[in-house]
Amino acid sequence: MTNILMEAHGLMKQYGTRTVVNGVSMKVYENEILAIIGPNGAGKSTTLEMILGLRKQDAGEVYYWNKDFQKEVGIQLQATPFFPGLTAFENLQLFAAFYKKKLSKQLGIELLSLCGLRDVMKTEGSRLSGGQQKRLAIAVALVHNPKVVFLDEPTAALDPKSRREIHQLLTELHRRGTTVVFTSHDMDEVAKLSHRVMMIDQGAVITEGDAKELCEIHGVQNLEELYLHLTVGGNEQ
Amino acid sequence: MKTIFKTMLVTSLRDKITMFYSVIFPVALLIGLGYYFDNPAYTPRLLTGVIALSSLFWGVSGIAFQVHWQRSRGVYKLLKLTPFPTISFIFLMTAARTLLGILINLAVLGTGVIFFDMAVTIGAVLGTMGMMFIGILCFTCLGFLISNFAGNEAQINMISNLFFFPMIFGADTFYSLKSAPEWVSTMGGLFPFGYYVHGIRSVLGISSESPLASIMVLLIYTAVLLILAVLTFKWEANANGQIQMKKAKKRQRAVV
Repeated sequence: MTNILMEAHGLMKQYGTRTVVNGVSMKVYENEILAIIGPNGAGKSTTLEMILGLRKQDAGEVYYWNKDFQKEVGIQLQATPFFPGLTAFENLQLFAAFYKKKLSKQLGIELLSLCGLRDVMKTEGSRLSGGQQKRLAIAVALVHNPKVVFLDEPTAALDPKSRREIHQLLTELHRRGTTVVFTSHDMDEVAKLSHRVMMIDQGAVITEGDAKELCEIHGVQNLEELYLHLTVGGNEQ
Repeated sequence: MKTIFKTMLVTSLRDKITMFYSVIFPVALLIGLGYYFDNPAYTPRLLTGVIALSSLFWGVSGIAFQVHWQRSRGVYKLLKLTPFPTISFIFLMTAARTLLGILINLAVLGTGVIFFDMAVTIGAVLGTMGMMFIGILCFTCLGFLISNFAGNEAQINMISNLFFFPMIFGADTFYSLKSAPEWVSTMGGLFPFGYYVHGIRSVLGISSESPLASIMVLLIYTAVLLILAVLTFKWEANANGQIQMKKAKKRQRAVV
């Protein structure tokens, strides 16, 4: 985990008088799994959107290892952007075309198999189950073979089986050398999957590091306790 | 480009309900009213009116709902992260829908030829296709503009109606406006629909006026609507929705 793929310094974002992101600095290392956690409205998604260039920051800088980084970054947003009437495979073909790549049937099948969607490749994207749609959204994020993928709550509102399938997919992606950055509210999944955790609350990074080490430092049993201990919403509880 | 254009055609063609109503409704309307009126002098006006209405609904409503759906699903947000320019995607989507719109309206024209013995030359068909291209493009730009101001599907309907009513009732599409108050035709003249109707009539040889004036006016409308649509384009669907929610919250507080 030596090469830095992305580095952000002092990111700020205000909407009117409300400060949503307040001086967030962060790094993403090559081939790590980084989890960004924090309460609803803590500024996680806004931070992600700023580092991806989807939202302009009021202050701060973002650096990537490559000026043409967008071609090597994949993203899965919370909404599933599948086109009506198109099958899972056709959706992949379309998104590959957006990256100016032609997706062969073989490559498409390989990608769908990786995401556990081989059997539903001819099913319309919008007819897939919730878990399958999330996996297809991840497949879309991987269609151009990116170096790093940003996943915004990939397991939100999924049943335990679907969650487990996504966990296996993320582990496999890491095994293949892809860097994964994801946001989540599931502390067990964060503890299980991530190499590094970054906790955001009220627009600022309140702690970051290895989940186990952080728990030891703060004298708590697990990540959930740490979360409740450190976040403002958690303290109120 | 080819894959994206093909996919945009496929996604519209597989929307069976929209396709059914887009093709069946105007064809059935033309056949039904044509036989009901049974007046050879009126049939050309009926035919051009149905083609014009079909183009209007296909262009405005079709694209407005499609753009709203794509925006709310984060398609444009994702596109911002790809090397493919969003403007090119919008252009391809518009081109695919315009092509389909022309084919649908050619089916309506074909119905007029088959069922009502309308005499149409190859030149007139080509001229009509050109006019349909400009007209559907113009209405598509209007659809884009509407989708930029609408926060949800219900608002698309409401805003569309603000344009549809004066356009349809202010143009001599199905009936003469000679006996109508002057303000009705003045109001109709402010919108592109009447010019499209006159243009279609001209290229089909139903009226003796030159289509050039209609083409020029439609091109000006298209350019203006396109510029407005680009200037007001939104990447995300939340702006209006948030405004609505904030207003609703304020109202709730006021009530409490």
